[in-house]
Amino acid sequence: TGGHTTEILRLLSCLSESYSPRHYVLADSDKMSEAKIRSFEQKRAERFSKSQFSLDRIPRSREVRQSWISSVVTTLYSILYSLPLAYKRKPDLILCNGPGTCVPVCLSAFLLGLLQIKRTIIVYVESICRVETLSLSGKILYYFSDYFIVQWPDLKKKYPKSVYLGRIV
Amino acid sequence: FRFKESLAEDLQSADLVISHAGAGSCLETLEKGKPLIVVINEKLMDNHQLELAKQLHRDGCVLYCNCSTLVETLQSMNLSALKPFPPGQPEKFASFLDKVFGLQ
Repeated sequence: TGGHTTEILRLLSCLSESYSPRHYVLADSDKMSEAKIRSFEQKRAERFSKSQFSLDRIPRSREVRQSWISSVVTTLYSILYSLPLAYKRKPDLILCNGPGTCVPVCLSAFLLGLLQIKRTIIVYVESICRVETLSLSGKILYYFSDYFIVQWPDLKKKYPKSVYLGRIV
Repeated sequence: FRFKESLAEDLQSADLVISHAGAGSCLETLEKGKPLIVVINEKLMDNHQLELAKQLHRDGCVLYCNCSTLVETLQSMNLSALKPFPPGQPEKFASFLDKVFGLQ
């Protein structure tokens, strides 16, 4: 959604074409991200001839401030969609930055890894808005990601297993 | 107006921006090098919006007030004391990922 999409597109801006094809996963209720993504990919196609991408939607896993019990239920429902998607795409890398949508996607990939079906590297970049505390997605994925990147030094101190590269968006 | 697709044009022509603490608004404004006053409404806001606004204020990049102190802030502000906001570096992220995948 919104800010997350803008941030993630900035993260993608300097990546080489080795990171291709790109599969974007969006929440079904997200109305604005698709246009931003298409615009980004169109500009990219002007620079790199074989640029490829796709867009998939899964049910939104959590509304802002939704109670945690109902969030577990809605997230499990989203996993019913993200698991077959992860199985179909078998990504080498999942890059996410915090919207609730990333939790079912990452958990699905993590599960496929446990089942030895596909080992995906999960890279989580916490939003630049998070200076002192992690988002709920961050708190969960700190334990499931291969690389957990934070953008402010306070978080690096609190979460020592994280990677701090400074501000990257 | 209520919603516009992009504020880029309005931001470009502004001399001063007064905004809520949303990250997108703050960052877009600072990246265009415009002076920014962030107005906090603690009753409405998500705590995490406050984190970024506070940090930007600590770094001297924005002025900061709440609804009731806005007028006072406008009267006493010294915009030239605001520090520039250096851009983020996504190339560092690309470099990091390339190392992870042995692409360097």
